[in-house]
Amino acid sequence: MTGLKRVAVVLLALVVVSSSLFAQGTKEDAAKGQVTLNVLNYIDMSEPNSANEVRLVWDKFESENPDIKIVREDLFNEPFHYKTEAYIASGQLPDVLYMWPSGRSTSLHTTGSVKDLMPLLEKDGLVDDYNPAALAPQFSGFLGELPNGITTTHMLFVNKKVLRDNGLTLSTDYNDMKKMVSTLKAKGIELIAMDNMDDWVMQSCLFSMVVGRYGGTDWYDRLEAGEISFTDDWFVKSLELIDDMYKSGMINRNTLSSPYGASRSSFATGKAAFLIDGDWATGSFMTDITTGDALINAKAQADDFELMAITNLPGEVVKNSNSGVVGTGWGMSANIAAGSAKEEAAWRLIKYLQGEYVQTYRLSTGASFPSNLKVDVAKVAAEQNLEPFITKRAEYYNKYVPITPVIDGVLHSDVYNVINSGLQEIGLGSKTPRTVAAEVQRAWEAFLKNK
Amino acid sequence: MAKVNTMADTKREQRRAYWALVLPGFLLYIAVMAFPTIFSVVLSLTSYNGGKLFGGKPVEMVGLKWYVRLFGDEYFYRALKNNLWIVLVSVLGQIPLGFFLAYVLYRGLVRGKDFFQTMIYLPTVISTVVIGILWKSFFAPHGAFPELMRIFRPGYEYTMGSHPMIPVLFVILWMYSGMYMIIFMANLQKIDNAVIEAARIDGAGEMQVLRYVILPALSGVIVVTAILAISGSLKSFDLIYVMTGGGPANRTSVLSIYMFDKAFKGAPNYPLANAISTVMVIISFLLIGLTKFAEKKFGGRE
Amino acid sequence: MNDIKDRNVRSRISSFFTYLVMIFFTVMALYPLFWLVISSFKTTTEFQMNKLGFPRRWVTVNYKDAWVRGKFPMLIVNSFFYTGITTIAILVFSFMAGFGFAKIRHKATPILYGSFVIGILLTLQSIMVPLFLIVNWVGLYNTRLGVLIPYIGIGMPMGVYLGTEYIRSIPDALVESARIDGASYGRIFWAIVIPMAVPVAVTVAILTVTGTWNEFMLINILTSNDGLKSLPVGVQKFAGALSTDYGKQFAALTIGLIPMLLFYLVFRKEITKGVAAGAVKG
Repeated sequence: MTGLKRVAVVLLALVVVSSSLFAQGTKEDAAKGQVTLNVLNYIDMSEPNSANEVRLVWDKFESENPDIKIVREDLFNEPFHYKTEAYIASGQLPDVLYMWPSGRSTSLHTTGSVKDLMPLLEKDGLVDDYNPAALAPQFSGFLGELPNGITTTHMLFVNKKVLRDNGLTLSTDYNDMKKMVSTLKAKGIELIAMDNMDDWVMQSCLFSMVVGRYGGTDWYDRLEAGEISFTDDWFVKSLELIDDMYKSGMINRNTLSSPYGASRSSFATGKAAFLIDGDWATGSFMTDITTGDALINAKAQADDFELMAITNLPGEVVKNSNSGVVGTGWGMSANIAAGSAKEEAAWRLIKYLQGEYVQTYRLSTGASFPSNLKVDVAKVAAEQNLEPFITKRAEYYNKYVPITPVIDGVLHSDVYNVINSGLQEIGLGSKTPRTVAAEVQRAWEAFLKNK
Repeated sequence: MAKVNTMADTKREQRRAYWALVLPGFLLYIAVMAFPTIFSVVLSLTSYNGGKLFGGKPVEMVGLKWYVRLFGDEYFYRALKNNLWIVLVSVLGQIPLGFFLAYVLYRGLVRGKDFFQTMIYLPTVISTVVIGILWKSFFAPHGAFPELMRIFRPGYEYTMGSHPMIPVLFVILWMYSGMYMIIFMANLQKIDNAVIEAARIDGAGEMQVLRYVILPALSGVIVVTAILAISGSLKSFDLIYVMTGGGPANRTSVLSIYMFDKAFKGAPNYPLANAISTVMVIISFLLIGLTKFAEKKFGGRE
Repeated sequence: MNDIKDRNVRSRISSFFTYLVMIFFTVMALYPLFWLVISSFKTTTEFQMNKLGFPRRWVTVNYKDAWVRGKFPMLIVNSFFYTGITTIAILVFSFMAGFGFAKIRHKATPILYGSFVIGILLTLQSIMVPLFLIVNWVGLYNTRLGVLIPYIGIGMPMGVYLGTEYIRSIPDALVESARIDGASYGRIFWAIVIPMAVPVAVTVAILTVTGTWNEFMLINILTSNDGLKSLPVGVQKFAGALSTDYGKQFAALTIGLIPMLLFYLVFRKEITKGVAAGAVKG
């Protein structure tokens, strides 16, 4: 009896205490004449700047726009995605939401849950304010979200110090890099660090760039038109290159059990000469404002590290290209009536979030690279004394053109999931490039048939 | 006459009491679990393709299309295989280990019984998310595990080998053995000590006591734990989801993760996802039926 | 003589191994927790470079950040609220039903009880989206009630299953004699069944408390207001595959862990006894 009694008494006490606390509760009623906007925000709370973001971005907007009341739901990672799917299924979307141009936000685009923002941009004459590439039509052929910028998904981080210390000269030429393996291996240093446990990493951060080099900038258009197939040379060669990188030890097969983000430190501390990641990883090496620590401090950023891309793949068709996709950004629910006060308020918020002020702020934290042309990167970098990686990143964008499509940005998940796991199978050595290519082609044909 | 009246009254009162007792819980259950489940089974037979479910694009019945597609997917079998591995480790690993631990503690073969019991059960109360994140960071190639190994064996290299499920199975074995230990301990305590003593006086060794006295008395409990282990194993999600997410190349995927990926990764395919969960329920049904059958066949007294 | 000596050596060796196993389990339980706690005092940079050792500099800002930014005080109160109400409701409803199934003959029992047993096999992930639609439809989205009702419903199968099986073992004669003495079913429930079912009630309570306390998927879907969410949702905002700061992630995890650890240490005896009692009758 005592056991149950004790449990019951404690539980009851807790209920009483907590419900009395709730009695005071939080009231979030909008004042008269205010428009309430429900916003679904994506935020990594552990990120050093997240506290500032609330203050410098959201609170500022509310104080400048007293007629708008914002009810924000902050989510991160998986919970964000499955919440979005649930919203879509019920047809009750928040008014303004953070979203991807494709990939995990595919259903927002394909189900017509969000509005085309182009007419609104045109009406306000803001089209010229943005990088034209950033305003390219998205997954369903319209501007579903106004992007933060363009993301290039392949970035080769180079630790020059490791190369110097081992008597190697800096080169990102594929064959030169391959030759470095033996020298470095003797010292117990990996050539390329990469985190391949999550299957999107290889596809997004390396393979998409490779496919662009072999398939040409218009590979997706030609594929869609039926001119080429996945069993053709361009795709098989791309897979074979990945196979070669594993076989030659350029990428260790161990990377398949490395969770995303885990090898950044081993790269920064010289346990690998290169790191393959996306351009978004730049920020994680820079100084954390809450602790003052940095994986790579400003001086080392200037002297010992470079941001580059792999070049001269054997037999490539396009030189120096990189894979890119418009970045994440903000979309508006299609449920909002055109011309309503709510639409005006939601649009005002989106314009603010992708306007000069917020994009300058996001540039300074390293979160993203601006799509808004009013933000002068060089000037901001000089004025705010930003860390060297920010200017190096700007140079990197100019150096690697043209931009070719990212696989999960253009293909349907039924197809790119097969590519993703196929790449891991190649990493495990359990499937050959030809087998994978055939499987991808099958998935593609099945997708076309179902469409 | 009067007597008949009371009988009818009792019957009526009994019926009223029955419904008053059963209905509140049943209605809650229907609303929250049964109805959505039926809904999801029905959805698995349709062509629903994302978007507003009601008032969106019209939805057609497509029969068993998604089930056919499911049974043609190699990753379905891989997930199923991993699930069966987990069932195996639970039934043949956790239960014997739990029994061993319980037996050792019950027979007083070690001192500090309370302390060890607390420690062995501890993992069961910690959130699986925490455990998953911990072990994930622990087993990563640059994580603590390889560094720890290097203390004993300098130059140790973490290799994944061909069995990425091993770390997962290891953590599962560690996590839940405590639960079975506790169950066995309580049941051991019910065995009459006099019987054991009598057996010992008759010259039975420790092993013989175990074989002829203790195990028969526990056979009913073993079936119960097996059923718990099977249904738990087939549903396992959180731990693996956090630890590996099913990767690499779905080598550590299980049915629930496979289902979750279909429902929430990329363009969602609810019908297919729901087909998977229906298949999952059927499989656990079969396995539990099998256990019950084994119990009947090989008997054992409760 | 020799035989006894032999036995002694053998028993020593086996006892050595037994201790080894016990100590292994103890280390396995404590070390990860220890590692979690010391890691939570490191900056990310330090964690990346020094994964095993003590921090060179103990950083407490991780805890402050997690506590304030994660709005943990409010979330903890919410967690207590949901866990408390859910547990009590499940105990009451499932034992009522269990009493009905076990002690009152009725032809509906096989179907009703059978459907509860099937419920044990269902996975939460498969009913998440339909549940969201229903909760929306009845207008309970983003309310406390809209979280509590699903929580209670989901806990019912296990509670009913364990409850019914246990109450069956209460002698029918007890119930019948009380009936003859003129006691109503309600009275029998409170005065006879509940006191006798305490061990299994503790089991159900513990399973429900741990389950509800750690649940994060459903509540995240069923609410949008931070003021209604629970502790694990807060922890999830720091921890995840793409999280950038390990120190804060571990601090958040530690905070999330403490209430359950305290719960376990306080109710250790009841938990171990209770879990066992519940499963005996399966």
